[in-house]
Amino acid sequence: MKRRKFVQSLVAVTPAVAVAQQVAPPSTPPPATPQQPVEPPIGAAGRGGRGAGAGMEDTTKLEITSADAVGQMTPHFFNSDQYSALEKLSQILLPPLKGAPGALDAQAPQFLDFLLGESPADRQQLYRQGLDALNAQARKKFQQAFAKLADDQAAQLLEPLRQPWTYDPPADPLTKFLRAAKQDVRTATVNSREFNVAGAAAGGGGRRFGGTGLYWNSLDS
Amino acid sequence: METTEYDVLIVGSGASGGMAAYTLTKRGLKCLLLDAGPSVDFAKTRVLKPVYELPYRGFGKPGRLAHVLQANEFNANQWVDETQVPYTHDPKTPYNWVRVRMIGGKSLFWARMSFRLSDYEFKAKDHDGFGENWPINHADLAPFYDRVEPIFRVSGRKEGLPQLPDGNFIPDESPDSEATKRFAAAAKKKDIPVTKIRRALGKGPFASSYNLLLPDALATGNLTIVPNAIAREISVDKNTGRVTGVHFVERGSRREMHAKAKAVVVGASCLESTRLLLNSKIANSSGVLGHYLCDQFYMSNSVVAIIPEARDGKGTRGMVGGGGYIPRFRNLKKGEKNNFLRGYALDFSTGGSPDAKYFGSWGEQLQKDLDSTRGAAFGCTSMGEALPRFENKVTIDKKVVDAWGIPVLNIDCRYTDNEFNMAKDAVDTIAEVCHDAGFEVLNKNPKFYNPGYSIHEVGTCRMGDDPKKSVLNKWNQSHDIKNLFVVDGSSFVTAGSQNPTMTILSLSMRASEYLADEAKKGNV
Repeated sequence: MKRRKFVQSLVAVTPAVAVAQQVAPPSTPPPATPQQPVEPPIGAAGRGGRGAGAGMEDTTKLEITSADAVGQMTPHFFNSDQYSALEKLSQILLPPLKGAPGALDAQAPQFLDFLLGESPADRQQLYRQGLDALNAQARKKFQQAFAKLADDQAAQLLEPLRQPWTYDPPADPLTKFLRAAKQDVRTATVNSREFNVAGAAAGGGGRRFGGTGLYWNSLDS
Repeated sequence: METTEYDVLIVGSGASGGMAAYTLTKRGLKCLLLDAGPSVDFAKTRVLKPVYELPYRGFGKPGRLAHVLQANEFNANQWVDETQVPYTHDPKTPYNWVRVRMIGGKSLFWARMSFRLSDYEFKAKDHDGFGENWPINHADLAPFYDRVEPIFRVSGRKEGLPQLPDGNFIPDESPDSEATKRFAAAAKKKDIPVTKIRRALGKGPFASSYNLLLPDALATGNLTIVPNAIAREISVDKNTGRVTGVHFVERGSRREMHAKAKAVVVGASCLESTRLLLNSKIANSSGVLGHYLCDQFYMSNSVVAIIPEARDGKGTRGMVGGGGYIPRFRNLKKGEKNNFLRGYALDFSTGGSPDAKYFGSWGEQLQKDLDSTRGAAFGCTSMGEALPRFENKVTIDKKVVDAWGIPVLNIDCRYTDNEFNMAKDAVDTIAEVCHDAGFEVLNKNPKFYNPGYSIHEVGTCRMGDDPKKSVLNKWNQSHDIKNLFVVDGSSFVTAGSQNPTMTILSLSMRASEYLADEAKKGNV
């Protein structure tokens, strides 16, 4: 139950983050959807009033468990060969460093399976073909799938990333894919709950994480 | 039913419409201000959230706001949704039309860069023979710049540069960092001037019509603001040819309404104002309405370099930090030979951190590269004048309407070799200056964004003395219809390399005072 313990520790840290950022008091739960208006605190302490929200704070809070503690994720956009390659690639691109969660801790591959599933067709093709190409090269050079390679073997296939970066996308689809993946895996990781909470707990300390921003609710609401 | 006839109906509440309201109401005219968007309660509409609570972890919903590269998942709702108010273009020539609909308009979000145009812009044709001159020069507009700058609290350093006239500044006496000084010294050897960024400090969180113009206009008792009023068409009296008011749709209820006024001032942003005139089928005896669309091409991170002494966390305050502005320096001398006309400007900063993509590394090595260069970067953005060309135009696309049934724009705009050559010169020249200053150039980017990206689109209702070649006269007044004024960037004749907001504000103030004076004389 390592995962569940980890999730609980996140919950414990979250209010401290909220206070540090001067957002709503910890007793106010974050809105479930952007459109849902935040109920203003009733009294000075934010509880015990007799207005519209009166009585809500008496409701018992149920103990709940995360999906990760009870189930295994099945990718729905990538096939299993592609997904295994994406996991391996993510782990190489952004391993846990200096105590910060890495791409796998941040569930970056799971998130990218969701993101790519909603992305335009050319982006989907770039990823599927890129991962297929990594597997094909791994089989040709090392006679096994990319996911099974030793880290130094896998790193050999990432050599195209060493070419100087240009604004014009590279002609080679694999190079183009690797550049996209390097950026996306990084963003998916540093913007994850795991990375942010760990970063805040470590006091920021020069580590970059996605942080907090002003979110615009719909103007039509 | 309300049947008040206002003295002036103003369409749009951003920089130009807001300034018209500010100026006209102070002169005692009763004004009605319509804006297509709501009056936003910022405290309620914006909520602090950690990025990981957003459904797309900050990536944003794929495909949403495909033309608004400034959008992110936090602020996506701040921009006009292009499925609600679409526009069309040839797939091979994309245009990034970036819009905001709320009281205050884009003046709520601008980068606050506050520059004057010079006679190199106003009299551009005299200088290089291309296009047309403006019907005004810097001396005509200077008294208005002088009054606009204090309202917006523009800070800057006076330099006496002919291509970037000094303003009525709050003096910026902040010291330059060593890195900035070294860069400026290297630039000077190439005859490239460097000055402080000129920036509107505004008041509180904004430098907007929302907080700097509209409150004063309301205080006169002469202003009525109606949000969520989407202008469909300007109404015209068939007998007199004069405009009589505006047909508008109420955003939420979709009721069709009409409001009456003795004069109409359009300040809905360059392309929305043009769309409104085209849909109203007025003010186009010249045939140039919608033509000459231009802006500045825009390249962020044109050159990224590392300031060596600031590597590995050794950068201190005073060593790096701050930035500056490089005004146009090309094609100022008669007979200067370049493979392009006009010029470009840049703003730069020191002390930033380069993006991971510039390093050919990953994993642990990438982390080392990032740690080593944190706070040690030089970065710059270049903006070059795109030439005003008749063939760059907007027209009404009769096949497509927006969510309120209003016909949309087709945008047909492309850059040419003049812009490509200018961009290459900008990148090569600044990279040389960086090198001369002892910076290590990490990346050069000669590739600019699509037209429209800079959000500085101008030119589609241009002013001029000749009614056959221009839509407006030198007072931003329609050549065809005396009681119709257009006061936003659409009235520009050239784009210049400077950010346009100070000029838009000054033109609007000048046009509005003229309108008030003429109204008093019974001439409109």
